[in-house]
Amino acid sequence: MPELRRDPIIGRWVIIAKERGRRPTDFIIAEEPVRGGFCPLCEGNEHTTPHEVLAYGRSHFAPDTPGWSLRVVPNKFPALVIEGDLDKEGEGIYDKMNGIGAHEVIIETPRHDDVLHQMPVAQIKLILMSYRDRMLDLMRDMRFRYIIVFKNFKRAAGASLEHSHSQLIALPIVPYLIQEEINSCLRYFDYKERCVFCDIIRQELATGSRIVCENSNFITICPFAPRSPFEMWLLPKRHLSTYTDLDDSMLDSLAQIFSETMKRLNAAIPNVPYNYMLHTSPLKQLNIEHYHWHIEIMPKTTMVAGFEWGTGFYINTTPPEEAAKFLREVRLLV
Amino acid sequence: MSADKKKILVVDDEEHIHLLYKEELEEEGYEVRSVLSGEEALKLFDSYAPDLVILDINMPGMDGIEVLRQMKQKRPATPVILSSAYPEYKQDLASWASDDYIVKSFNLDELKRSIKKHIEKNNA
Repeated sequence: MPELRRDPIIGRWVIIAKERGRRPTDFIIAEEPVRGGFCPLCEGNEHTTPHEVLAYGRSHFAPDTPGWSLRVVPNKFPALVIEGDLDKEGEGIYDKMNGIGAHEVIIETPRHDDVLHQMPVAQIKLILMSYRDRMLDLMRDMRFRYIIVFKNFKRAAGASLEHSHSQLIALPIVPYLIQEEINSCLRYFDYKERCVFCDIIRQELATGSRIVCENSNFITICPFAPRSPFEMWLLPKRHLSTYTDLDDSMLDSLAQIFSETMKRLNAAIPNVPYNYMLHTSPLKQLNIEHYHWHIEIMPKTTMVAGFEWGTGFYINTTPPEEAAKFLREVRLLV
Repeated sequence: MSADKKKILVVDDEEHIHLLYKEELEEEGYEVRSVLSGEEALKLFDSYAPDLVILDINMPGMDGIEVLRQMKQKRPATPVILSSAYPEYKQDLASWASDDYIVKSFNLDELKRSIKKHIEKNNA
C-alpha cells in the first residue's frame, strides 16, 4: 500500500508509492549529445562575458584573461538589474517595485568537459568558497534581502550550456518558499526551543537508515518525505544558520562530503540531471537559532505535472530508506 | 552595389521579417541578404562573409543557438545579434556567445542602434 508522509519542516505531504519500488537501475538516463562549437565560458573566451567580479587561481593581476581556476561574472542579459532604486509602491491591493537584483554566473572550471562529480576536492572547495565570498560582498548592498545559489546540471534540469557552472541571484525580497520554510522552523522553535533541522539530524544519526554519507562536520541524508527519488539534503551537523559563517577548515570538510555525495549520486544513476539549491538565512536574519543552512539536491528523475502543481503533493516511487541504502552501498570508482 | 557597403546576413524563418529588415536596413545604407534556415546561413556565412549577422533563435531544423555556436567557432570577430520574439531565451546562457540580444519588434530603432554600435566597434 502507498504511504503518505509529511515533511516535518513545511508540512508538505508526499505519496511514497512503495509497491512501484523503482531502483536506481530503473532510471536509465541517456547521455545528452554534446552540442560542441563556441563556448563563452571556456578559458580563452573571457572577452565574451561581462567583466568578472571574482576570480581565483591567476598568478597575475590582469582581469578577464586566461590563467584562472574559477571565475564569477554578472549575467550578460540579466533578468534583474543592479543599478537603481527599488521604488516600492502599491497599486490598489497589489505590490510592486523595480526589478533590482544581482544575477551572477559561477564558472566552476576553465575546462569545458569537467563535471562536478569528477572534479578534485580542491576545485569543489573553490566553488563552495566562491559562493561564500560573493554572498559576503553582495550582503553589503542594503537593497538585498536574500541570496540564492543554485546549479542546473544538464538540459533536462534547465542548463543550456554543458560547461560546468552554477548561478547566484540576489533578490530584494525573501522568496516565499524560503520564507515559508523559515516560518515553519520558527513555529517549531517557539514550541520546542530547538532547531527542527538539528532534531532531524539527531534522529537520522540515531536511526541511520536514511544517511548517505557523513564526516565529522556534515551529513548527507535522504529526507523522510522526499519530493523525488534520490532527493538528498546536505547539512552541517552543528547548528549554523548562515552559510557565510563557514571558515576555511569547514569549507575543506564541506568540499569533501559534497564531492562524495555527488560521486555517489552519479554512480547510482549515471548521467542523471539534477538541480541543487543552497538555502541559507535571509540577509536581515543572520545567525538565528531556529534556522539551519543546507543544500537540497534534486535529481531530475520524474516529471512535475498537474497533480503536483495543483496540490503541492509529490509522488515518489523510491522510498528514501531504499535510496539511501543504495547510495551508501554503491561502488565508487577511485 | 557599392563595395564599401557593410554586409548584413539576416537569418529568420519568417519571410515578412526578411522584407521588413531589408527595406529598413538598406535605407540605412547596408547591403542585406536573407536566408530562411540555419543550414543555409552557415553555408552563406563562409561565401558571403557578412560584417554582421542578425539571427533568429526559434527556427525549424538547426536552431539559432546552434548556428551561433558554429559561426563563433568559425569567425569569432563577426558580430552576431540574436533577435527573437521570446525574451525568455535571454536567460539561456548559450546566448552569451552573441554580441547582443534584441527582442523582435516592428520598431527597429534598438536593432539599428545595436548594428551601428557593433559594426563601428569592429571598424575601430
